[in-house]
Amino acid sequence: MKEINVDRPSKTEPHLVTIENAHKRFGANVVLQGVDLHVDRGEVLAIIGPSGSGKTTLLRTINGLELLDTGSVTVSGLIIPAMSELVSQRTRDAIVRQIRSTVGMVFQQYNLFPHMTVLRNIIEAPVFSRGVDKETAVKTAIQLLDRMGMADKASAHAHQLSGGQRQRVAIARSLALNPELMLFDEVTSALDPELVGEVLQVMRELAAEGMTMVVVTHEMQFAREVADRVIFMDGGVIVEEGKPEDVFAHPKHKRTQKFLHRVLHPLAEESENSEQNDQGVE
Amino acid sequence: MQDFISHLTSWAPALATGVEYTLLLTLTGMTLALIVAIPLAALRSMKGLPVLRGIASFYVEIIRGTPLLLQLFYIYFVLPQMGIRLSPLVAGSIALGINYSAYLSEVFRGGIAAVEKSQWEAAQTLGLSGRFTWTHIILPQALRISIPSTGNYVVSMFKDTALCSTITVTELLFTGQLIGQQSFQYLQIYTVVFVIYLIITYPASRGVAWIERRTRIEAR
Repeated sequence: MKEINVDRPSKTEPHLVTIENAHKRFGANVVLQGVDLHVDRGEVLAIIGPSGSGKTTLLRTINGLELLDTGSVTVSGLIIPAMSELVSQRTRDAIVRQIRSTVGMVFQQYNLFPHMTVLRNIIEAPVFSRGVDKETAVKTAIQLLDRMGMADKASAHAHQLSGGQRQRVAIARSLALNPELMLFDEVTSALDPELVGEVLQVMRELAAEGMTMVVVTHEMQFAREVADRVIFMDGGVIVEEGKPEDVFAHPKHKRTQKFLHRVLHPLAEESENSEQNDQGVE
Repeated sequence: MQDFISHLTSWAPALATGVEYTLLLTLTGMTLALIVAIPLAALRSMKGLPVLRGIASFYVEIIRGTPLLLQLFYIYFVLPQMGIRLSPLVAGSIALGINYSAYLSEVFRGGIAAVEKSQWEAAQTLGLSGRFTWTHIILPQALRISIPSTGNYVVSMFKDTALCSTITVTELLFTGQLIGQQSFQYLQIYTVVFVIYLIITYPASRGVAWIERRTRIEAR
């Protein structure tokens, strides 16, 4: 019910990302029901929670891949109007486009362009959407690939690479646009276990360099080590939020405890479940 | 046998010209079909632009709902009454091109639908424009997916060029007909024509099957 002024002055905006009272449903399926969230510059925020908890949707609202029904998303002082706002498609597109120019995103399924070489995947956006001259773009791309330990793969196609390599190319592709903020959507979930480490290593380095990152992840160890703050989502709301050492070591809420127990001790699941069922009867 | 060989030698130049016209019709018809079909498919796949999409769908339905032979007659016999006079070869190419554009646009539409939605999202996230995404990300992948089906339609058009014999294009079948009428050697000449079609279509079909297998492997 809160009124949102689209022209709100941006200078006073303290956070890089601010989400207020976010509501979103897909048909009858309510995905977000009143989420408030902010991300500071240089912060690494991990979002954890069971599948269907709304964490991916929340992440996707930050760069306008999903639009909120009501509520607001503000990135660098620019507000993406919710669907309830009477704003023309053109205005909304323009805002989203501007936001995307500073926000990189990496997807679970890599989403590399399969018909292009690794190098072209990386230089395409700088050259054609930023107008960077090709020589400079290639140079930057090679540097990025080098940093990812993949300088020798510049002329390969995606289908010739392992999942971990693909994901590193996808990260390089985003970084080539010098984003202020990087969104990671379960980027290791599609990988074979032995390939997860190389991708997390790249992300760890990015975090160490001070990149602002929002990371939706199932990698609890990574969240614990790298994140400055963790939020636990369930059922479209933020259930618990705090420093990783607090959330992981002393979760306050029952739902958080249950979730963490389940993901950290998958083999103990059965006995634990029956125990909880017993308790539920009381 | 001696007889047949001497006949065949005397028919050879005419038959060669016939094959030439058949190939020419396939080439021009297919070129036209592709030029029309690709934008048509893109138009029918786009969100927004409901009017243009409606017109495109209407075009496809009209073409697919009537016989190619009738379309050919319409272009060759009816258009002149409206002051548009076309040579048989041009009329044939246009009829084949228009007819196949409708079917090919369906093939490409399927190809476009088969490109994953996530490719759009990746392109949008990178700030690539809608137009660039269409021409550099979506269509190249969609066309590649469509290559095997398109190949089948090339073979099919090659055979359908025979319909142009009805508007006096001296392509392969019409050449055979003329030779038959002059020599009364119907068995020989039609058998020869039969074999010539097969000599071209059989390897072409095998080629398409090979491409089909290859693209399927590469897609993994």
